[in-house]
Amino acid sequence: MAIVAISTEHLTRRFGQFVAVDDVNLQVAAGQFFGFLGPNGAGKSTTIKMLTGLLAPSAGRMQILGMDLTGNAIDVKRQIGVVPEGMALFGRLTGAEYLNFVGRMYGLDRDTVSKRSAELLEFMQLVDQPKTLITDYSHGMQKKLALAAAVIHGPKILFLDEPFEGVDAIASGTLKAMLQSMIARGATIFLTSHVLEIVERLCSHLAIIHRGRLVAQGSLDELRAGVAAQAAAALPPPAPGAEAPAGEKLTLEEIFLRIVGGARQADRELSWLG
Amino acid sequence: MAGLTFSREAHGQFAAIARVRWQLFINSLRTLRGRFEMVSRIFIALAFGIVGLGGATGMAAASYFFVSQGKIELLAILLWIIFLSWQLFPVMATAFTENVDSSNLLRFPLSYPSFFLIRMVYGAFDPATAIGCLWLFAISLGIGIADPPLFLWATMVFLVFAIVNILLGRVIFSWIERWLAQRRTREILGVLFFLFIISFQFIGPLMGRYDKRGAPAIARFVAQILPIERLLPPGIAATAIAQSARQALVAMLGALSMLGAYALAFLALLNIRLRAQFLGENLSESTAQKRSITGKPCGRYAGWALPGLPGPFAAIFEKEIRYLLRSGPMLFTLVMPVVILLIFRFTPGNSGKGGGFLVHAPDLAFPMGAAYALLILTNLIYNNFGPDAVGVQFFFASPVRLREVLMAKNLAHSAVVSVEIVLVYLGVCFLYRPPAAGVTLATVAGILFALPVNLSIGNLLSISSPKKIDFGTMGRQKASGATQLAAFGSQAALFGIAAVVFLIARYFGEIWLATILFLILAAIAFFVYWLFLNRAEQMALDRREAMIAELSRA
Repeated sequence: MAIVAISTEHLTRRFGQFVAVDDVNLQVAAGQFFGFLGPNGAGKSTTIKMLTGLLAPSAGRMQILGMDLTGNAIDVKRQIGVVPEGMALFGRLTGAEYLNFVGRMYGLDRDTVSKRSAELLEFMQLVDQPKTLITDYSHGMQKKLALAAAVIHGPKILFLDEPFEGVDAIASGTLKAMLQSMIARGATIFLTSHVLEIVERLCSHLAIIHRGRLVAQGSLDELRAGVAAQAAAALPPPAPGAEAPAGEKLTLEEIFLRIVGGARQADRELSWLG
Repeated sequence: MAGLTFSREAHGQFAAIARVRWQLFINSLRTLRGRFEMVSRIFIALAFGIVGLGGATGMAAASYFFVSQGKIELLAILLWIIFLSWQLFPVMATAFTENVDSSNLLRFPLSYPSFFLIRMVYGAFDPATAIGCLWLFAISLGIGIADPPLFLWATMVFLVFAIVNILLGRVIFSWIERWLAQRRTREILGVLFFLFIISFQFIGPLMGRYDKRGAPAIARFVAQILPIERLLPPGIAATAIAQSARQALVAMLGALSMLGAYALAFLALLNIRLRAQFLGENLSESTAQKRSITGKPCGRYAGWALPGLPGPFAAIFEKEIRYLLRSGPMLFTLVMPVVILLIFRFTPGNSGKGGGFLVHAPDLAFPMGAAYALLILTNLIYNNFGPDAVGVQFFFASPVRLREVLMAKNLAHSAVVSVEIVLVYLGVCFLYRPPAAGVTLATVAGILFALPVNLSIGNLLSISSPKKIDFGTMGRQKASGATQLAAFGSQAALFGIAAVVFLIARYFGEIWLATILFLILAAIAFFVYWLFLNRAEQMALDRREAMIAELSRA
């Protein structure tokens, strides 16, 4: 069994009567590029917020790199990088100032921060805006800066909440290249995204959350096999002597829709819409 | 303004907007914080109500006096007061004025007339309009009691005068809004505004300083500007009523027509702005900036070297100071204590010897200046996550304890207070005389007591009632209503304690006693601050979700 980077046991979060995350048991091995999927409001962002210390769970345990998050929050946070939902940027700093700030908050010395900031700004193609405040950056530039800030301390695990949302193809390519090089060096990436094509291309393992509950977990092939098995179980048994149907090569989108029941939604139509 | 007809669906749209506004209000009352905000708004409304009713009584009495004495033209004085307060108050106190973001409306199929009407109705019941209308009605009553036949005509004139004021107010605000939409123009406007306020504050002292020698010159100046004054809305309104009393029909109708012409002119100016907004003008920050593509990589940036401070402390300290230095409104706030000392230096004293009262009691200048410096900085200290906005998430995700974040912020704010106190001290030395050693020490000891108390309360309020503020925008520096109320109570208590300490010292005739008492209180305050810091950390962790939600609001 590989080293477990992220593990949750009966992780639950309630907002009043509403259960946003319900008894989630998640296992992410170290070095995996892990995609965490789900429809809107399924509990993805709530889960990522709990795993990064932005939200307290109502019940359950979370372990990051073998450390209990509740009891070792500071030690855990030193090992992880986060691009949260709102990017958490400080708008009235420049990009260089912000990276410097973040690096020093993670305990890096001034020289190291300075060197890494310059490299990151160059890598992210943000060097052309040395005096521009972050508030004046475009959305894509802000995303790139947020990712740069999340990796400046060399985290072992990176949590990314919708990193490709609102990012153009060029910036998206830069981000993907960087994430893949991190994986190659042994880091673990936990990513939520609605862009299923990107997830399919990048992620080795996936989990799908629906209405707060974890409904599927495994590699893409394992999920594909699971969906195929479910479909086969629903079909009448083949006639004696007949050839078994060839296994379908489902895309992630098709797998996702079959698991969360979105296909039924797509079939419906509005009577008044022309 | 041609084609001002409403589309078929306009009534439904107005009803929908009214309904959603009502629902937003009702929904805001679901939370404890929302209810507390409502209570604070009621208190603020009561304060405005007292001002409005007090002013209305004075206006009615004055108008009755002017009309019954046959000096109807003097009504212009009252109308100028109303006109200036109506136009200046919303600019000076934008926190009390509804400033709608019309871009939200443009995605709906609203016709231009509907859009125009909605923009006019939004904020129509702000304090300036309510008080202005109340005062005009009071003047009408005063006129009606003094000369009943004049009542109807005066009411009609004041109705047009009110429309002129409402339209002019919208014109001013829509143009200011246009400037506030972009960072650079926003900050330029901020500087111009504050320069205006400073120059305005100097008019009184300068008039007082030269009134003995310059009275004839001022009288000549007033006589010269009187014809111009009669061409402006308050003067025209007063003339219309005066001509009515003389039964000069042509003159009174002419004056009313001129007032109407002003209303049309302001309507046309407003139309230019609103039409541009309706056509979807883009004033975003990004389109305004000039791209400085040089092709050269920026130099390595190492941050500030602050010996003795751990890395995270230094990082937060630098970030806080950079935010302050990039805020025009905040920089002005920091300069204000010295400006106030300057104004008091040149304010005429009651003794008639010239110079403000602080000239006659210079030992009070340093304690008063220092107290004022601390008072104005409470706006910053009591909402210390406000400028971070969505960035507050980073503090919860970073490997730094919240108590250290709070301490670093407190350290930065304490440094600002210290610089302020030094500036005030230098200002007092330069403008008055160096304060006595006993007074200086007592003042510093008093600050050592008041600062940790304010920091403790500030930390708790910053967590319990944070509000996103924009350091680059005028009028959006205010903390939440709940924080303002709590701050008012704590400042009253602190000033009360300081007054008691000084009274005790005065009773025993020994200023050193105040220093000793303040130092004892300071030691207690530091201990309490330390205890509060631990409490504040747990409180922040418990409330992190609410804090992030509040500070991440669009």
